[in-house]
Order: sequence, then C-alpha cells, then structure tokens
Amino acid sequence: MDESVEFQQLALKYMDSLYNYGRVLTRNETDAEDLLQETLLRAFRGLASLDRNRNAKVWLLKIMKNAYIDRCRRKLSRPLEEELPEGQEPADHLPVNPEEILLRRLAIEEVRSAIRRLPPVWREAVELREIEGLSYAELAHVIDKPIGTVMSRLHRGRNLLRSFLQDHPDHAIEPGKVRGL
Amino acid sequence: MACKAVRTKLFEYLDGELSEEQRSALEEHLGACAECRHLVELEKAFREIYVLPLRPDQAPAAVRERAARLLAGLAAPPRSRWVRPLGRRSAMVTAALALVLVGGVWGLFLTWTRREASASLLRLADASVEQHQKLSRGLLPFDITRTSPKEAEQWFGNKLDFNVRLPELKDENLTFLGGRIAHLRDFEVAALEYRVDQKNVTLFIMPAEQYQRLGLKAEPKFKMVNRQGYDVIVWRAHGAAYALVSEIGGRSCMVCHAPEEKLDVTLKPEAHGAR
Repeated sequence: MDESVEFQQLALKYMDSLYNYGRVLTRNETDAEDLLQETLLRAFRGLASLDRNRNAKVWLLKIMKNAYIDRCRRKLSRPLEEELPEGQEPADHLPVNPEEILLRRLAIEEVRSAIRRLPPVWREAVELREIEGLSYAELAHVIDKPIGTVMSRLHRGRNLLRSFLQDHPDHAIEPGKVRGL
Repeated sequence: MACKAVRTKLFEYLDGELSEEQRSALEEHLGACAECRHLVELEKAFREIYVLPLRPDQAPAAVRERAARLLAGLAAPPRSRWVRPLGRRSAMVTAALALVLVGGVWGLFLTWTRREASASLLRLADASVEQHQKLSRGLLPFDITRTSPKEAEQWFGNKLDFNVRLPELKDENLTFLGGRIAHLRDFEVAALEYRVDQKNVTLFIMPAEQYQRLGLKAEPKFKMVNRQGYDVIVWRAHGAAYALVSEIGGRSCMVCHAPEEKLDVTLKPEAHGAR
C-alpha cells in the first residue's frame, strides 16, 4: 500500500485520540487543533521511524507530546508538569472504595465530565490509561517519566476522580483521610 | 501478603501490571480473605460500568475535515524539493522579461543554485511553506480578517515586539485576506495572507535578528528557493526580515510594491513592506 495512503488511514483512525490528547495538553480547542495538525505533519515526516510491530497510537501520542513541549518552549509557557496540584493529594495509596459510586448509577457523561475536572497531570495519566488503554510502560514513554511517576499520578488521579463522583462533587480528598475501606 | 498490601496493589493488579510473583501472592491472599475479594469485585464492577465504556470525545466535524484536507495535501506527490533555475518556470520568465522591459523596475536578485542555498535558509523556507499551506487551506484561522492593512498593522504592533509595517494595497488584483501570529520554527512572526491572481500568497514578517541567524551573504539581496513546489523569497529591509511564499514566483512581489515601481527604497520605503 502506498505509504501516504497508509498514513492517512492511520491518522484518521486515531484522530479522536489525538484531538482529545491535544485538548488535555493545551486546554484550548483552537490550540488543540493546531497541535493536532502539527503532530500529523511531524508524524508524516517521521514515518520511517514508525515500528510496524509496535503500537502506532503510542507513537502518534508521543509525537504530539514532543510537539507540545516544543511549543511550550517557543512560547515560553509552562508545560503541564509544572502545574502539579497542591493540597489535593490523598495521604496514602489505598484506593477509594467505589461502592457508593456504583450505587449512584451515574451516566458515562458524568464520569467524562469529572475526568475533565482533574488537575492536568493527573488527567493526562487517567485519560491515557482509562480511555486510550495505554500500559504503564507506554504511558511512561509518552509522558517521558519513570513508571513510578506514572503509577503515582494514575493512582492519585483515579482516587480524586472517585471523590468527584461521590456525593460531593466539589470535594477533594483531605490529606490523611482515605474513605471507604 | 497482608490486606493493606493487597489494597495498595489493587490498581496494578487489575491493570495487569504486577509481576507474576506479586500476582500469585496477591491471588493467594484473595483466596483466603473474603473482604479483599469483595473489594476486587467492586473494583471490577466499577471498571465495567464506568471505565470500559469511556471513549475519546469525537473530534468536531470541522476539525476532522480540516485534518483530512491536510492529510490529502500530504499525500500529493512532492514536487522538486530543491532550488530550481528561474528560467525553468514560465511564469517566472514572463515576470523577469516584464521587469527588463519596463527598465529600472524593482531589481530582484534571486539566488537559484542548489550550492548557494544554505541549510538554514531551506529550513526557514520549509517552515514558511508549511504555514502557508495551512493558512491557504483554511486550516489555521486568522486572528484578524476583514480589515485594512493599516488596522492590521496596529493590531500586530500591540502583539509583537518588533516592527511590523504592512504595505498599502497597490493593485486591484490584490486582496488582503487576513493575518495571524504564527510560528516559524522557534519564533513568532506576523503572517499576512493575500490573494493575487486567484492564488494565495503569504507574507511573513519577522525580527531582523532572525535573518541574521540564517548567516546568509549580503548579495543577492533577495534569496529565492523553491520548496515543495512553492516559491519562497526571503530578504531583509528596514529593520525587519520577510519571507514571501507563493506559487507565482516574482508576481507575488506585488504584495509589497507595484510592478512599475522603481528600485528606490530611500524615496519609497513604504513600498516594500517596511519603513
């Protein structure tokens, strides 16, 4: 198959994932589209670096992350990593019990909306794992962080998401308290 | 394995990220602990109901359409990527003859040879072409449109920290479409989109120091390269640097000055896009 046609198919297949990740990174729909286009151009130019035996979506997401970091450097703006949330972290690593949330029978859109409210670096980890289905190693590759950092962000993001989904949507987990268990 | 250790590893267990040894130890504990088993069941139910149905939001139709157009453009067979002689383009020959005939016409000294085209110039040209393609295909929205060059000049003046002077429109076949702040490689530029002879032309205005970074010789003043089928003319004048991208070679110069205007920048500096 012609390489450019193959690339078009690949790009169209992962268009939603890329656009969503662009929105996570830029938090702005116009910038997300700009980043999407830049990613497609970079990916096309670097098509030779795509290993057909590996996950093409991960390859595209990584290109987008690199393009985003370059963009931040150009604009002298702060990337997500420098916007770590404060005062919202659970004190230990026990999962929040999901029983109450199961009883609430929420609509999926409510879950989606709660994910959007997560602090950016935790949202990035949660989206890439829960929605895009990346493994820890793939996630670490895309965000260029150690697996330990990935696990920590994912764990905290998931727990904060659950606290959003419980009775008090605006409530964040207080340090020292893990509910449920 | 204790209950707390199991719960600490619960996410990793269900994510399939535990080592074989850890997984065996955890499952051994689950076989003996009803409370932890119950917790695992709750976690599985949570994932089934609230996580598995999650999908990325669909990109808006307009975004998909613009991306598809970009992809279609990428699929087009690339034209010559290197600098070509002026005489090989009939439009350019026509333009060159016209310049000679009117005598004393703005003298464009263009550089065509592959040898002389520096890598830095080519990189700038590539970045300019990429932005031009996106602007002319409507993939990048204008920051300002339906306005006069003078008003646009004022708008850019408030946004950029270098001198942006826009030429007045001097030909009825020339239309100013709009402008935006764009990025050429790692710096901000003013990008102005024009319509000339049914073709889009983009004029990029950038800080003069960016031109110095290219490390080009002083002569010829106007460097022209062809990249991906587009003619890119780069020059410096009056405290700013310029890159003009089009498919119409020297005809694109009418964005900055009328064809009959003479090369007299001291008398008519405004005719070349900067004062």
